[in-house]
Amino acid sequence: MTAAPVAAPAAEVFRPADVAEAVRFLADHPGAVPIAGGTDVMIDRRLGRLSTGWLVDISHLDTGGIVRDGDDLTIGATTTIRSIETSRELADTAPALVEAARVLGSVQIRNMATLGGNLCHATPSAEMPPPLLVFGSSAALAGPSGERSIDLADLATGPGTTSLAPGEMLVSVTAAVPDGIGSCYIRQTIRWAMDLAGAGVAASVETDGDTVTALRVGLGAVSPIPMLVPGLDDIAVGHVLDPDVLAEAAARARDACSPISDARGTADYRRHVVAVLTARAIRIAAARARGTWPIDRLAPPNGFDPEVLPGRENGPVR
Amino acid sequence: MAVTQATSDAHSVVGKRIPKLDAPDKVTGATVYADDMRIPGLLTAAIKRSPHAHARIVSIDVSKAEALPGVHAVIHAGNVTQRSFGYGHDNEPLKSRKVRCIGDEVAAVAAVDAEIAQQALDLIDVDYDLLPEVDDPHAAMLPGAPVIHEELDIEGNVSMRWDFETGDLAAAERDSAVIVEGTYSSPQAAPAPIETHVVIADFDPTGHLTVISPVHMVFMYRKELADCLGLDWQRITIKQPPVGGSFGGKIDIDTHDFITVLLAKAAQRPVKLALTREEEFIGARTRQPIHFKLRTGADADGNITFRDAEVVSDNGAYNAWGSHAMLVAMNTVTSLYQVPASRVRSAVVYTNKNYGGSVRGFGNPQATFAVEQQTEELADALGIDPIAFRLQNANTADSTTTQGLEITTCGLTECLEAVRDRSGWVERRGTQREKFRGLGAATYIHVGGGARIYGSDGCGAMIKIDDSGQVALISGSSELGQGSETVLAMIVAEEIGVPVDVVTVTNSDTDVKPWDVGVHASRTTFVAGNAARLAARGAKAKLLEAAAETLGIAAAELDIEDGMILRNGDRDTAVPYAKAIRRRLLREQSSIIMSSAFYDPPTEKQDEGFIGNISAAYGFGAHVAEVEVDPETGMIRVVGLWAAHDVGRAINPMSCEGQIEGGAVMGIGLALTEELPVQDGRFLAPNLHDYGMPTAADPPRIDVTLVETIDPEGPYGAKGIGEGGIILPPAAIANAVADAIGIRPREYPMRPWKVVDWIQRNETSTVVDQRTGEASA
Repeated sequence: MTAAPVAAPAAEVFRPADVAEAVRFLADHPGAVPIAGGTDVMIDRRLGRLSTGWLVDISHLDTGGIVRDGDDLTIGATTTIRSIETSRELADTAPALVEAARVLGSVQIRNMATLGGNLCHATPSAEMPPPLLVFGSSAALAGPSGERSIDLADLATGPGTTSLAPGEMLVSVTAAVPDGIGSCYIRQTIRWAMDLAGAGVAASVETDGDTVTALRVGLGAVSPIPMLVPGLDDIAVGHVLDPDVLAEAAARARDACSPISDARGTADYRRHVVAVLTARAIRIAAARARGTWPIDRLAPPNGFDPEVLPGRENGPVR
Repeated sequence: MAVTQATSDAHSVVGKRIPKLDAPDKVTGATVYADDMRIPGLLTAAIKRSPHAHARIVSIDVSKAEALPGVHAVIHAGNVTQRSFGYGHDNEPLKSRKVRCIGDEVAAVAAVDAEIAQQALDLIDVDYDLLPEVDDPHAAMLPGAPVIHEELDIEGNVSMRWDFETGDLAAAERDSAVIVEGTYSSPQAAPAPIETHVVIADFDPTGHLTVISPVHMVFMYRKELADCLGLDWQRITIKQPPVGGSFGGKIDIDTHDFITVLLAKAAQRPVKLALTREEEFIGARTRQPIHFKLRTGADADGNITFRDAEVVSDNGAYNAWGSHAMLVAMNTVTSLYQVPASRVRSAVVYTNKNYGGSVRGFGNPQATFAVEQQTEELADALGIDPIAFRLQNANTADSTTTQGLEITTCGLTECLEAVRDRSGWVERRGTQREKFRGLGAATYIHVGGGARIYGSDGCGAMIKIDDSGQVALISGSSELGQGSETVLAMIVAEEIGVPVDVVTVTNSDTDVKPWDVGVHASRTTFVAGNAARLAARGAKAKLLEAAAETLGIAAAELDIEDGMILRNGDRDTAVPYAKAIRRRLLREQSSIIMSSAFYDPPTEKQDEGFIGNISAAYGFGAHVAEVEVDPETGMIRVVGLWAAHDVGRAINPMSCEGQIEGGAVMGIGLALTEELPVQDGRFLAPNLHDYGMPTAADPPRIDVTLVETIDPEGPYGAKGIGEGGIILPPAAIANAVADAIGIRPREYPMRPWKVVDWIQRNETSTVVDQRTGEASA
């Protein structure tokens, strides 16, 4: 057993003028790492998980901020988590993103941390991927040979690894947020703030009257990479969200995940809690889609809201 | 919000809400802690620790580490002089033959910087022969279990057994209408102060050793250091820098203290060791898990008839003073409420785990979790309101418990009534199950007037008043965040009759300060406060004597109010006290005003049968907790906490509230989140991210009521309050969970997956109704 080093090793910092220069530098310096808020990079360096000689400071680069254009909602990679948390636009159109952003770390962390960092660090329990996945998001990447767009689901490839090619960096994420889509992100934690999720669940629901026209559920912290639950269209689209459909969706989420046991819970418990949170997130998202959820009311962090969702109907009973 | 049930006594300083005198430095970052100190030539130390829980040390090869440039010393059991230490002398600073827990120290280095020290550690080769390990105390007691201390003459890894029995247990059982029985367990938790342990050791050219360490039993520390390392304790100075939090974790001398001194000796240079956060969890002392098998009976009229406890402490690999937490647990079993018959059979058992220290509450949160759950289980079985049941059985003033605890003042009844009324208990308990909300109560008894576990329970104080009029108190006691400097300054200011801002408090080092046992057992306000008060009384007499001489008036006609010397209360002819001092001092044949006192409370050590009045006063308190339980995720939110504490007298109400709120938040952490799990030989949460300490978002607003009973022995009637707040949340929250969802928590922390498991297993109380012979579960 060894003690953790007390200070990060020295590094050289390159400050590019724009994305193109950043990408050129990254391509020319294999192993160089982009840094924006530094809330993951600095810890990794201090713990010896990351031993790069070059840091590429992208914190000042304009990646577009938060822009809505029709159904497309684009968020730049250097947008801080705090900007997402406090965005009026997002609270109205994609509350799941706000609900994920507001539970990430502390205010101080959220002031520094960026969306791009949260996605590219590829922590299995990251807050932002599940809500972005349920909006069918794509990721815009810039590289030495130009830009390309990938499905966000293909960005993370494992804990701490991504499909970014050498020299590539994430520039922005575009979510599909059609009018009337309801969404929600909730999670289970040990304490009520400054905690990683034991399980995080996002849901998006589109309806036509009482009939579901689209249902997506995204999971975090319960598989090596954040994931969408497959097969939900089969059970939900064209149906009313009755208890049977909710229970089936919850069961599919439970069966699709592959959690581990650690200080934040046993694998069995996490599967159980994924089912509970899936049903809750869907109900809250559906209530938002139908306009029956109070405007401006964020879901409680774990979705347990006996006042709005009567207690015994909060989820599937075992 | 806080309510003080204040008395009408008129004081000019005592009873005022005065912010802590050290707060400005601390909140602005100006305070210089041990780790901030810069000393020329200072080397950095690091410790090579065992990754194994139980292994024989076959060999240690330090040659490569010694050869590394920048390394000044590499030590291990084979090249230092050390003796065994610890209670029962079962521990060595550097392990010579065996390691008995993960984190055990096998070697250490001193180098020019942290990086080289770390490299040197990696170059030390230790060859281990792994031994079977045991991490459960019940398994450790079984025949054939691995023997952890073969050098000791003990059976079944049981280090100590402490048994007590009083009254006719069999008869009490026959007289009981209902008997409740159950098991209750607590986890390994950590004091987790912000500042990790830091030690600086430096020998001067004559061999005089100075140690800078944020410990709070400095005189004991010096003696144990000398005994273990064969040093002359007259040639050791212990300097205490500001303490960055302790919660008991910095009471005992520990392995790393000895190791730092050994390194300074070997390197002939000053050496600093600062534990990393991970080491603070793995290599410093923890709160010991305690397992209770408890039975309690009550008669049909609602009187408690007996308690019968089997208690097993999971002590870990060695005995620190924390092994004695079982004595506090015993007090609670025998003496919380009026219990005519009781039996405690307790075993302190070695296991291959990090060992228990003296953490705030010292065995009482664990014991109260068991005892106070059974109190509510019994009341419910009898159909009596649990607070009414407690009031009926409450301890009273001027009574003596079966263990000989002489209760002089007791505000338990007032505390219970306060939390009952302020929480809406009567109307709300048992009515919120539809909302998954519930209320639970708990009370405690804890030492509040010192605790005589050593020969002396005393503390010294010295006061000097100089030509400026500054009143300097040099206390034997230590400030470790509990607010003692402020309270001691207030006591001195009140006693002499000067404003509090002319009083300074020094508790610097063993060369300067008078002897004191140390800060533990909620004793500082009571014991150090009485010592300061006596010294102040002496200083005031000398001051008035000086004034009498210079003014030509009889001392008996003089008094001091707000810094002015008055003759028979006449303000018009008043003279500033400092002027009188200067007239006395700045002349031929002058003398200074100085006074000293030593206060040792009128108590006794417990005898071999564990009977004796160990404390000059006892503190009491009651909490009501309200929780909301999410029955599906198992997440618990504490939505209300009402706390009433008998503080004797609130010398500084703001400080009392701070102690109670801080303790309660720490207690909420114990109840719900804090735990140091070990899985497959690896600590899962040795950092503040995973360990689960509560954040500001976790506790509710805490409603504090201070109940004043004006203790006859306490300074201005005050009793200790340092530990009271932490004792009750585990018990009160468990009772609230039972009220909310009908499930009886058997252990804490009540982490979400355990709650889900209890619900699935329908874990409820086991109550036997003797009248019908029926057991209900």
